[in-house]
Amino acid sequence: MSMVSVRGVTKCFPTATGFVNALSPVDLDIDAGEFVSIIGPSGCGKSTLLRIFAGLEQHTTGEISWGSQHGRDKVGFVFQEPVLLPWKSALANICFALEAFGIKGEAANTEGRRLLELVGLDQFADALPSQLSGGMRQRVAIARALSYDPQILLMDEPFGALDLLTRDKLNDELADIWAKTGKTIVLVTHSVEEAAYLSDRVVVMSARPGVVKRIYIVPFERPRSEATKLLPEFHRLMADLRQDLK
Amino acid sequence: MMTAHNLLHRFRDLAIAVFGIVGVWWLYISIASVPTFLLPTPQSVGQALWTLVQSGDIWAHLGATLSVVLIGLASGVALGIVCGALLAHFDKLRAWLDGLLLFLQTAPKIALAPLFLIWFGLGLLSKVILVISLVFFPVLIGTMLGVRSVAPSLHDLARILKLSAWRSFVSIELPHAAADILAGVRVGSLQAVVGAILAEWLSSKVGLGYLMIMANSTFNAPLLFAAVALTVGIGIVMYFLIESIEMRVLHWRMSHD
Repeated sequence: MSMVSVRGVTKCFPTATGFVNALSPVDLDIDAGEFVSIIGPSGCGKSTLLRIFAGLEQHTTGEISWGSQHGRDKVGFVFQEPVLLPWKSALANICFALEAFGIKGEAANTEGRRLLELVGLDQFADALPSQLSGGMRQRVAIARALSYDPQILLMDEPFGALDLLTRDKLNDELADIWAKTGKTIVLVTHSVEEAAYLSDRVVVMSARPGVVKRIYIVPFERPRSEATKLLPEFHRLMADLRQDLK
Repeated sequence: MMTAHNLLHRFRDLAIAVFGIVGVWWLYISIASVPTFLLPTPQSVGQALWTLVQSGDIWAHLGATLSVVLIGLASGVALGIVCGALLAHFDKLRAWLDGLLLFLQTAPKIALAPLFLIWFGLGLLSKVILVISLVFFPVLIGTMLGVRSVAPSLHDLARILKLSAWRSFVSIELPHAAADILAGVRVGSLQAVVGAILAEWLSSKVGLGYLMIMANSTFNAPLLFAAVALTVGIGIVMYFLIESIEMRVLHWRMSHD
């Protein structure tokens, strides 16, 4: 079943000198429970597309239809930066999101703690963001985005600012979370490896104007591991993706 | 940024400074022969203070000045936050009012005090309005600065969480702006004391400002000094009050491991 389907969506930005076409007509279907990555060079409109999914931007023309009636009522969004409230503890940051969707008090607390456990931070419930490392903060952001049980989780280069080791670790955790929760995940990334490792499908976009260039189906069995990254097919796929990015 | 430990240190340093000033003052008087109507002894000032306490007059004067300061400060802060938040949110409004705000902000409010007297009478109202006019602008500017410096990504988060404008203001913008608002309040609170004293000089039958004028015109130097000391005391108490509010509200800024 299609979670969201995009038909002929374009986006024009007004600038000082006129208009910039961020997205030329884009067509894309994302199935429920699917893990889709979008990669492309800077300025190809991949983040814009994600923000249109989230309702943070309005598309200029075209149509976006959501499979379920509730569609875009609740989306989880993980930004490039953690975007936590620095005066609230890790747990309070998650409860803040829960409260926004009507889950309050003890129920919010219990749910918040469960999610912190899911991302491996149950020991840090009372820590302020400033007391957490970059990777931990991004985990809190993921837990927050999942907390109110959104239909879809949208991630905009969530691990871009992290070091390679942390990034690999969080990739495995994300794959694990995806397996446990069965969420539909759309991940915008710069990393070819990340896209190939995590996704069911990889959407390659090209720049100016942004269009979908090619869509790859990633066949590797799950759960994936370091062994997956050693497969010749994995390297073949990465090479193809890289080629397409040029 | 302040911590509780830090605050204690400040308090100690302040006490040392006060003792130092009184000590030098006392020493100067004992060495040089200064006429007491120019510089009374610390003892005579203490005596004047004690007399004020004993007669109970001190409470009327302190109460009058404090109520002008506190009512004016509270109203000025509330008004400053509300207007600052509105101006931060509505670019058009800010563009329209830019000139007016600049005019009002740079106009010396102290010079307007006699006008307030004519417009709002000799009572509490004109004094409070003078204080409000002094407190309002620093708080307004602080609020505007603080609210406008909220990162766009936090606004995105508010939209993802479908927060209402009010919820978003209360739970994201206001706490984010707290440091800047408090900086405005700090400036405003000192101005508030100045404004209250000045308003009492102009028209009053009670209050520390009145006490100063009265002492001056009767050549009662010890009483004048006592009134000045009380005013300084109010300023210091307000300073520490705001400091402790800051510690409470901004504690998260201090807990970098």
